[in-house]
Amino acid sequence: MRPLRLLSSLLKRLGYGLALMLGVTLLSFTLMVQFGPDKTFELLGKNPTGEQIAEVRRELGYDRPFIVRYGAWLGSLVRGDLGASDTTGEAVAPLLARALPVTLALVLPGYLVGNLFGLLLGMLAAWHRGGAWDRLVLGGSVAGLSLSFLVIIILLQILLSTPYGLDLFPTRGWRVTDLSSYLHYVTVPTLALIGVTLGYNTRFYRAIVLEELGREHIRTARAFGATGREVLFVHVLRNGLVPIVTRLLYSIPLVVVSGSLLLETYFGIPGVGKITFDAMTSGDQPVLLAVVTLTAVGFVAVQVLADTACRMADPRMAQS
Amino acid sequence: MKPASTTKITLALLTLALLAGCSEAPESQPAPSLRTYVHAMDGAPATLDPGQASNLYANTLVINLYDTLYRYRYLARPYELAPNLAADLPTVSEDGLTLTIRLKPGVRFIDDPAFPGGVGREVIAQDVVYSLLRHFDPESRAQGAWLWRDRLVGLDDWKEAGADYDTPPEGLRALDDHTLQLTLTRPYPQIVHTLAQGYAAVVPREAVERYGRELGVRAVGSGPFRLESFDRSRAVLVRNDAYRQEPVDLAAEGFDPSRDGDLGLEHIEGRAPPFMDRIEVEFIAEDAARWNSYYAGETHFIKVPVAQFDQVLASRSPATLAPELLAEHRFDAAPEAGFVYTSFNMADPNLGHHPDPAQAERNRALRCAMVKAFDWDRRNAQFYGDMGQVFPGVIPPVVPEFDAGLDRASVTRDLEEARALLREHGWTAENLPELGYGFPSSVTERQLFEQFRSFMGDIGYPADKLRPQVYATFGDYYRAYSQGEVGLITTGWTLDYPDAENTLQLFYGPNASPGANNGSFRDETFDALYEEAAVLEPSAERTRLFAAMNQRVIDECAAITGLTRSLLLLWNRDLVMRPDRAFVGGYAFRFVDRRPQPEP
Repeated sequence: MRPLRLLSSLLKRLGYGLALMLGVTLLSFTLMVQFGPDKTFELLGKNPTGEQIAEVRRELGYDRPFIVRYGAWLGSLVRGDLGASDTTGEAVAPLLARALPVTLALVLPGYLVGNLFGLLLGMLAAWHRGGAWDRLVLGGSVAGLSLSFLVIIILLQILLSTPYGLDLFPTRGWRVTDLSSYLHYVTVPTLALIGVTLGYNTRFYRAIVLEELGREHIRTARAFGATGREVLFVHVLRNGLVPIVTRLLYSIPLVVVSGSLLLETYFGIPGVGKITFDAMTSGDQPVLLAVVTLTAVGFVAVQVLADTACRMADPRMAQS
Repeated sequence: MKPASTTKITLALLTLALLAGCSEAPESQPAPSLRTYVHAMDGAPATLDPGQASNLYANTLVINLYDTLYRYRYLARPYELAPNLAADLPTVSEDGLTLTIRLKPGVRFIDDPAFPGGVGREVIAQDVVYSLLRHFDPESRAQGAWLWRDRLVGLDDWKEAGADYDTPPEGLRALDDHTLQLTLTRPYPQIVHTLAQGYAAVVPREAVERYGRELGVRAVGSGPFRLESFDRSRAVLVRNDAYRQEPVDLAAEGFDPSRDGDLGLEHIEGRAPPFMDRIEVEFIAEDAARWNSYYAGETHFIKVPVAQFDQVLASRSPATLAPELLAEHRFDAAPEAGFVYTSFNMADPNLGHHPDPAQAERNRALRCAMVKAFDWDRRNAQFYGDMGQVFPGVIPPVVPEFDAGLDRASVTRDLEEARALLREHGWTAENLPELGYGFPSSVTERQLFEQFRSFMGDIGYPADKLRPQVYATFGDYYRAYSQGEVGLITTGWTLDYPDAENTLQLFYGPNASPGANNGSFRDETFDALYEEAAVLEPSAERTRLFAAMNQRVIDECAAITGLTRSLLLLWNRDLVMRPDRAFVGGYAFRFVDRRPQPEP
């Protein structure tokens, strides 16, 4: 791949990304201002006077025209200032900086293991297409898809964390100081995350592998005497890398925000999901806007990364 | 990609995850020798700034991290005030308008970088003045102004003049470092109660100026505990070793041997609190998670969710604990300090006040019919574990003025009378007004609405004329009813202080929306009685006036009221404590101790 062409492609992607981010911020700001919760009355004491109501609205910036508020917020964003939480008063940047590592530590094992198992099960099912293994894996996937995340969490909590079941792990919390405590706290949330994503992952990877298995180069490889293991792990996997990498990368921002939302809320883990949930329920616009914007940044970064990775995985894309 | 590479990358990422999760650990693990009490709460405070200690969750923490002039005695019921940072109860002038309060000398704020050299200084009267004035500073976002507005001489003018802390108003002065003087515009019998609330907690000016709004996640106080960490999942408090030594006198705290005799409280007699090294407060909103956490032994105290009542109780009346729990747990079934009720929007001419006396009377009949149609017994059975106390009016069982002998007609369902009222006043299915029933979005709230609609259906109120008005957050719902957008306002009230005045003010005309009188009930007779009673100390005369006000609310059918929920509190038997979940109940933390373990 020529470096200049790669650079040009990256710059183009970044340009699209910036436009996308501007659009996302404008849309999210509009939605939150027009339809989001009004925080005025949560910040007022009992028996407020009209003057106090006006003071709080002024403090929150509600009395300013929309475009002025958006411009001011965008200006702060460009300067790297995400503002302060309307609820706790804490600056949003350190709040998220403290929460993000916790979320990554929480979801990464489930994300990796869920995808790895999904890939292996997908390969197993595709290799035995129509057979007993395929039916078993697909049946399991459908069962997994049918269970709600909350039901999985409560079931696992009761089974693994209470005297009603095995009582092996804590029901909630995050007091991680070393490997042992990490495993203690991360196991049940990880199993829950795997439980909810495995069905989706397995069906997706099965479809990818099935498509690859039907291609001419696989028949050629088999004709050359490649073993089943070589066919799956070398020829299928390498040629299926583009959709696999795309899915892996694109799901990161989703897993970090939405995947952790229920997990962290239910397990009482102070990560990005819990902060987002609290901001949503309390109408904390600075925090919500920061999360939405950073998620958009994450998507743009992932888009650039996925594009680069796919070009490296499949040189034909770079030529096109 | 080779499988070996995949494994390596996976392991590398997992290691990274572990490092990431550990690197920002906000607090240390408690040493095994530390005595730790883990308390579960069903909600989280938004902020720990005393100026915004507007709810039970915030108040519980704030009064343990900061000092207040007064507190409530640990065991006395009805509640009784006791000096805390103040040396004694106030000295009151003959006209009842000037209160002089002496502060205990030598009380110090905790060490904090906000102070020169990082060393906490002495708490002085000027700090109390500063902390109360913050509520009138538009920049502070403090929420307690309603407690002192128009009550202290010059306070409102002080705000108008620019809120200069260096020139405090006449009504709030530090005479010297240890003497505070409050000058009232008129007698205010509840003033000492207001000084026991989190709103009145004493904050050093240096901390406010250094941390600004971030004071909401820090705490620089002089209370029995210091804040180690705080987020929306948990707060960790550690003992303030410099806290003043004041040995417990159980008799003075209101110890009642017949009620408290088996709690092991004699163990704390003569010792100086706080007794626990560390208090961890877990904020667990989800009932199932909170119960699982308690049942697994991870928390030591829980307000039992209603769904678990059957599992926890052997009988409900009287409440007794299930035999299998007796060995390891203690419990208390206490009435909440408040009640739930549904106000009618009296500003709505279709339902409430009306300039035409005839229509006003028709509207009153409609409200009374709805009161009569409401089935408190079913509400209690289906939503409050059949353990709530239904009572007529708005003076709940927890205050001394409660009258157990009051006529219960207003809380007894009578469909015949309800239908007769409608019929006699010309109300038919066709001309009944369309009403919005507001609630914040939740399954339980929806169920409450559907039950309400079914009750009204029994007197012929068409279902399509009672429509749900759902709001995303409680703040939105609060805004809507405060602006008169909701016809039927179902809400709860938790007492700020244990005095019936605090519930009767919910129907005082000048407190109409956006004030606490959310139904905007206006009644000249009621208001006159309220104003007469508001300046009286607790007395038989005041109780008589309160009863008359209560009767006005009942007679005018201003609300469908009321029910005080029973709180089932469960705690580990190893702990020596009498828990309290009232708004003022956080003072119990300092007295929590662990039963001495027998020698091995």
